[in-house]
Amino acid sequence: MLIFTLRRLSLFIFTMLVLTLLSFSLSFLFPGDSIINISGAINATPAQLIEIEKHYHTESNIFWQYITYLHNIVNGELGISMASQSDIATEVLNLLPATIELSLVALFIAMFVGIPLGFIAAIKHNKTTDNIIVSVSMLGYSIPVFWLGILAILTFSINLGWLPSAGQISLLFEIELITGIQFIDILLSDSPYKWQAFSDATAHIILPACVIAVAPATIFIRLARTSMIEVLETSYIRAANAKGLTFRQMIFRHAIRNALIQIIRHVGLQFANLVTIAMVTEVIFSWPGIGRWLIESIYQRDYTAIQSGLLVLSCFIFIVHILTDFIYAALNPLARGNKYGS
Amino acid sequence: MNLLDIRNLSIELISENKNILAVDKVSLIMKEGEVRGLVGESGSGKSLLAQAIVGVLNDKWKVHADRFHWRGVDLLRLSIAERKALISRDIAMIFQEPMACLDPTTTIKNQLAEAIDTSSLTGFFWQKQRQRNEAAIKLLHKVGIKKHNACLNSYPHQLTDALCQRVMIAIALARRPILLIADEPTAAMENTNQGQIFRLLASLNQLKNMSILLISHDLENITHWTHKITVMYSGQFVEAGTTEQIFKNPLHPYTKALVDSSPSANIELPAKSRLMALPGTIPILQHLPIGCRLGPRCPRAQQACVQAPTITSFHDHKVSCHYPLIPTKAKRKAIKEVC
Repeated sequence: MLIFTLRRLSLFIFTMLVLTLLSFSLSFLFPGDSIINISGAINATPAQLIEIEKHYHTESNIFWQYITYLHNIVNGELGISMASQSDIATEVLNLLPATIELSLVALFIAMFVGIPLGFIAAIKHNKTTDNIIVSVSMLGYSIPVFWLGILAILTFSINLGWLPSAGQISLLFEIELITGIQFIDILLSDSPYKWQAFSDATAHIILPACVIAVAPATIFIRLARTSMIEVLETSYIRAANAKGLTFRQMIFRHAIRNALIQIIRHVGLQFANLVTIAMVTEVIFSWPGIGRWLIESIYQRDYTAIQSGLLVLSCFIFIVHILTDFIYAALNPLARGNKYGS
Repeated sequence: MNLLDIRNLSIELISENKNILAVDKVSLIMKEGEVRGLVGESGSGKSLLAQAIVGVLNDKWKVHADRFHWRGVDLLRLSIAERKALISRDIAMIFQEPMACLDPTTTIKNQLAEAIDTSSLTGFFWQKQRQRNEAAIKLLHKVGIKKHNACLNSYPHQLTDALCQRVMIAIALARRPILLIADEPTAAMENTNQGQIFRLLASLNQLKNMSILLISHDLENITHWTHKITVMYSGQFVEAGTTEQIFKNPLHPYTKALVDSSPSANIELPAKSRLMALPGTIPILQHLPIGCRLGPRCPRAQQACVQAPTITSFHDHKVSCHYPLIPTKAKRKAIKEVC
């Protein structure tokens, strides 16, 4: 298990190196002066510019510039935003937790709805239930998310008035920022209206999270269905049947775990897709997350912010990817042990 | 009393345009305490027959039989749930490729423990848990695994094929079955391991009077261990009799060819000459011949062979052929009775 962890860690470090290389090269590829792109100081006086150039080691060769860039990232210096001239690192720290919250809630909704539905479809393979689930999932997958978001606001916020349409929490509540994750902050705060704030935050997250979850959930339905059908055909299920286990025991003790193994591998992959959907949804629901911030930066040609935003988001996706790998290893004894020749 | 009495069992593969009769009216009778070999080439429907007996075929297959008695109980009259309960209590089955038949993500301990009958345990749940573990260890000892702790805590991929097959047999023994169906238990196994598994099965048969239905494609390999043998070809019944009858005095041309094709029957054959074998291969399911399915390959085939032959019995030696190879002496004595 230690070797497995070290392996994942080294993979993480090297992938991050490649990502930083990409974001570093972006400052040269974007139009304009590379030093301004990388630092974000567009209004700098010539004297300040010389100071910045010294800081970024522009006089030495490109390799040293890259090393300096890495050094800056490790120290949390991502430059300042070209548009607002504020420090990007603090902005990211303020915005990223909201995106993490939203995308994780959406991921859990997608998994808790999609996977059981897929299993049910597989168990009722080729029956009406199966056909209904598969066609609904096909429909859900084909709806574009921006349209679905607007439709959801129109129905649930405007026509029915059940849920709020924008923001993370009502402005009435003042919640101190401690961890950045809203729900944890609410629980930590000593406000007398803690529980009202909690229910308000819940009401705010339901609509965007559900809109994000629709497409991944349909993918999970199909993944769960195919892997369950596959597992139900295997010899060990037949053997378990011959052993005298009831159908329920067979499904819960053997089939679900083996089917989950195959799905978990894909969760990491689907998460990247989910974050992309979350970015669009954040714009629609004015969610104060990093996705909306990144899209606004793109509109404003804020190259420094784009670079750092990409880096931070991909880092987040990659961490989730590695976490799913660990869950996979925990479920699958075959992935845990030492493999020869790998 | 017969343990298992199956008459005219047919298994159909349901396909879009036409159902395919994969197993065509096969009869099988087993007595208490006997080891019966079920022999045939791969694709002759032996495994299908075994799976149909245990009832683990999936929806693609349709099974029907004229008679299906288990220790005098007519299983066809019982509901599906009752039948499953009765069969899973009394009949156990082990499969080929034992490693694929054990759940790869569960330890041997859990897989063995869940096969143990709950009604045999007493007391509260923590006591039951301990009894379960003890029973699991006992079962492993029964099949000759001494390092029970190492085995119980491992996953199937950490064990060898032969050990997995022993574990499968232990799982099968957990319910104290009366009949054990072994579907090619030693396929793809080393020779020494094959011997171990067969010896284990033979000792179970002798010590516990457990009946065994041994399925194999290798006639020669199982003759040491069986009392009686049933031969199948392409889903049809060919011949059944004691091991000696089948080996010394085969009545069906197919059995004759099968016996002749084994190297030990050809011991006088000069080196590097061809073994005796029937021309052609077993027909595929989509193109089954009518009548006797051996017809196109049979050296004795005549016009009558386009009709399926009925089963003829010579002193409990049953054969399904229009022109059986009866030695002249026996021919006079033969009492032809049509079943």
